[in-house]
Amino acid sequence: MRMILLKLLRLVVVLLVVSFLTFWFGKLIGGNNDLVAKMIPFSSEQEKDRVREQLGLDKPFFTQYGSWLTNFARGDFGELYTGTGKNVTSVPVSEIVAKRLPVSLELMLSAQLLALAVAVPLGVFSAYKANSKFDRGANMTMFGLLALPPFVVALVLAIYLGAQWQWLPTQSDLPNFPLNPLENWRYLLMPTISLALAQMAIYMRLLRSDMIATLQEDFITTAKAKGIPPHRVLFRHALRPSSLTLLTVAGLNVGALIGGAVVIERIFKVPGIGGQLAASILSGQFIQTQSIVLLIAVFYVVLNFAVDILYSVLDPRIRHARAIA
Amino acid sequence: MPEQSPDSGEEIVRTLVADEQRHDLPADEPSLLIAAVEAGPEIAHNRRRRKGLGIGAWLAIIWISLLLFSAIFQPLLVSTGVIPDPEAQELPEISGTGEALVVAQPPSLGHLMGLNPRGEDILSLVIEGSRRSLVIGFVSVFLGFMVGGFLGLLAGYFKGRTGGFIGSLLDILLAFPQLILALFVVEVLGHTVTNVTFALAIVSTPVLARIARASSLSWSEREFVVAARAQGAKHRRVLWREVLPNTLPAMLSIALLGVAVVIVAEAGLALLGAGVAPDLVTWGNIIQTGVPELKDSPHIVLAPSIVIFLTVLALNYLGDVVRARFDVREAAL
Repeated sequence: MRMILLKLLRLVVVLLVVSFLTFWFGKLIGGNNDLVAKMIPFSSEQEKDRVREQLGLDKPFFTQYGSWLTNFARGDFGELYTGTGKNVTSVPVSEIVAKRLPVSLELMLSAQLLALAVAVPLGVFSAYKANSKFDRGANMTMFGLLALPPFVVALVLAIYLGAQWQWLPTQSDLPNFPLNPLENWRYLLMPTISLALAQMAIYMRLLRSDMIATLQEDFITTAKAKGIPPHRVLFRHALRPSSLTLLTVAGLNVGALIGGAVVIERIFKVPGIGGQLAASILSGQFIQTQSIVLLIAVFYVVLNFAVDILYSVLDPRIRHARAIA
Repeated sequence: MPEQSPDSGEEIVRTLVADEQRHDLPADEPSLLIAAVEAGPEIAHNRRRRKGLGIGAWLAIIWISLLLFSAIFQPLLVSTGVIPDPEAQELPEISGTGEALVVAQPPSLGHLMGLNPRGEDILSLVIEGSRRSLVIGFVSVFLGFMVGGFLGLLAGYFKGRTGGFIGSLLDILLAFPQLILALFVVEVLGHTVTNVTFALAIVSTPVLARIARASSLSWSEREFVVAARAQGAKHRRVLWREVLPNTLPAMLSIALLGVAVVIVAEAGLALLGAGVAPDLVTWGNIIQTGVPELKDSPHIVLAPSIVIFLTVLALNYLGDVVRARFDVREAAL
């Protein structure tokens, strides 16, 4: 219990430093001397002055940081300013996030599911038939896939399935999921495959090497000697202890991918959070950048923490030691 | 397990053990990739070792040497006319109405990778781009290796407060999505080769540090290290003479994989329009210029993509071979 509290304390400290760095970096991408001019370059001076006043940019750095952080904690992520001339309009960043985060999450989850659906049976069977022709073939294919950057897969798919044969839509608006699930699925198919292929190779190879180690343990020999059929030994007895690492890694990976799918989102123009973030950094939208980066970082750090705690709860070695004690 | 009273000290030790195991797990995209490459086919490797390097390793070495050779001698190759000047443009044919016809040509014998719409030979662009992409890859991993390797070595050896502090530092850096952090740095500092290298070095530092930490941690607990300490050797000497030489082979293998990851990251940045300025040729920038022409001339995107794929494959393979050669556990079998 004390250990968990200590870790929680460390988590809070890490998050505070991360939030400070995010705020500071955000100011830097705005150009530091005139943030507003970079954000709404085509507006009149009066409008710019009005926005400057609204944002309180004349206040000391730490006052600005403090109010940004307290607003963030309350769920107010600031505003995104756009417009030209006199018509400067603003949209709450939280609204944009609410619209785009679900898209990214859907993409992430479907990529993870596809990757696991292929990797688990393949990994188990490869480990079972270790060093057979099948195993070597599967392993080599997966090794090749590891070297294939997701954006290359994405571009190849976009060239053939999208542009030349026109089987799948590209560059259109994402159809709403509840209204049109089939079209929505067709739209996300190419980005999903691009993300899933590399993940698949990662999971398959990790699971395979874990499984090979597990299959050499005494309790597997016992299970086999008892006459339990092979598929039951594999999936009941061997897969469970081996999947702990896999699940942990897959869980952590969701966090890493939230921001890591930027390139794929950009290539297929998926309206996800990563693409929005990249665009906002490049166009100097510092408020939006600060809030989204901190949001992703909080998500990642908290997920890490949760996996950390779960891991020590789930690992049989630790759990059993505790039970005996 | 002997019966002991469940005091909180024991609890802490147990949780610490779990902590160490958890921290060896890859928690970010690059180290996940690295872990997967390293999760090699245990049995196949033993067979390969007896036969020397194996044909795959030789192919990988040949490919990397070819790349390095053409990158280093690029000016010579251009001046002797072996490859066309990347600046030279094949002039577009003018049609009867005075409009320039499309000059983007698919690969042919004269131009192995074809021409882009500006009439430039893609093969010589790829070779010119390799000069920048390879420098970015190798230099940023070298820098990340120096800083991250050092931090990881210390964190693994001094487990207590120093280790915790370095660990928190790495946690902070890893909290940012890697590509976004690189984008940040490049956007603030400017789109030059040096800044992209620097940005990717920052990104690779925590990844390499975490791996170095795990390696240093396991070596620091070995008997010979304890023996050296017991004989009164100073920390600095133990680190330098006992721990470091043992972690190096594994780290060398990781570094090769790291170069591959960075080369891909450079291209990713370019695709976001956030890498090296578009007027400088890099592998990523060549791909980026081909994206609008996907439908009519896919070769502009495909040619550099295939080169990147082969390079990453070769580096991964070499990294795996290095690991298998030096892996003590496997050698003992």
